[in-house]
Amino acid sequence: MLPMQTVAVLYLDEEDRKFWSPSLDRIPELFSITVAGCLSLALDRVRRLRGSLGLLVISARLYPGKYPELARLLRELAPGLELLLISSEDSSPALGQLFADDIRHLAIDSRQGVPSRGCLPAVVSLLIEQRHWEIGSCLKPGTTVYSFQLRSSEDKEPLIAALEAVLTGDGEEIALLREKGALLADELLENALYNAPRGSRGDRLFQKGERRDLLPRERIVFSFGFDGETLALKLTDNWGSLAPDSVLEYLARNQEEDSVADGDGGRGLFIIWRFLDQFHVEVLPGQQTAVGGHLQLSSRLDPEAPRGFHIAEYKKEMAA
Amino acid sequence: MNSKASASASGAVTAHDYFLLEGTIDAHCDKLLKEIPSRVRHTQVYFDFSKAGRINSMGIALLLRCFKEIGSRAEIRLEGLSPMHNMLFKMTGVFLLAAPAQSPGREGGVR
Repeated sequence: MLPMQTVAVLYLDEEDRKFWSPSLDRIPELFSITVAGCLSLALDRVRRLRGSLGLLVISARLYPGKYPELARLLRELAPGLELLLISSEDSSPALGQLFADDIRHLAIDSRQGVPSRGCLPAVVSLLIEQRHWEIGSCLKPGTTVYSFQLRSSEDKEPLIAALEAVLTGDGEEIALLREKGALLADELLENALYNAPRGSRGDRLFQKGERRDLLPRERIVFSFGFDGETLALKLTDNWGSLAPDSVLEYLARNQEEDSVADGDGGRGLFIIWRFLDQFHVEVLPGQQTAVGGHLQLSSRLDPEAPRGFHIAEYKKEMAA
Repeated sequence: MNSKASASASGAVTAHDYFLLEGTIDAHCDKLLKEIPSRVRHTQVYFDFSKAGRINSMGIALLLRCFKEIGSRAEIRLEGLSPMHNMLFKMTGVFLLAAPAQSPGREGGVR
């Protein structure tokens, strides 16, 4: 068992602290630091916590807008410290800056707040305990999780149909969730079938659209669950060929409003990210990649707004 | 897919090309979408998505390539878009090359 580690949260001011306290106050060993105009004092408090600090949460009202140097200063202060940026929907940070500062964890809260904030403690505990993301972490206890191991590209459409069959019901909301779920499944499966398999020089082994059987030792597992409110999906392959640095770069590049490149350029991952409420990528280089996340039936996040992400690289094996 | 000329909403006859896209738009539409630019004859082109289903990232890439090729010589209008298509096109930059048509879906396509 890991020793208890402190989670520190850096807020801009008291108003900022009050906004986040309903969800963050439930986290044990939480240490709140309000900058309130004096960054050096706040950094000094972080410095004093260094020995026990396992995760530093930063409000997006501080960084990158108000203090663009903050991530760099914190990394100098505590090298290797995991940083999680939390943002309300109306102050979503520019991804370019996050990419430059290697911020790999972002949680976005919708304007209306409460529903999506329910997952913030789960994201924090994931990072502090260095656990892998599990599909059931944002589903109600007892929810059935369906898992399928692929044999060929011909399994794609039946699996999408199986997902759609779980999202039963009438009405615009559930119909839209069905469409989103189908597209997410499509992108996840295409990514595992055609982007993940790489040769020794990093070249793609298969072209999109071609029929292919899985290679003898290749393993692709698609899982999903729906608890009536939240849909969670996960795709695991045993290639481990997705570079975490590339993911953030893909998201940043595709988010540029004038980007209409007709190539691939990670557009599939960008679409997955934008249709989920929280996007997870976990890579064990050369061995395993897991991509997935969750979205809510009554998601209040603006479809045009950036979403949260969790992009991690691990050294030990993940569960499929 | 269909191609036709029809009357505009104002009653004045406007010659244009019309393409009806059906089903899932993905890597399997490569050949079909590559052929469309060479079939465009007029300075206005309508793409009807009312029968289109899922459009994945490969489908988006193919549509962008198709629209870029047509865009230098014709104005592109999109109609029959579902809320999902709208979301997708907005976030992937499709609307920078082709604008949604103001009028409701046209009828009487010729196969």
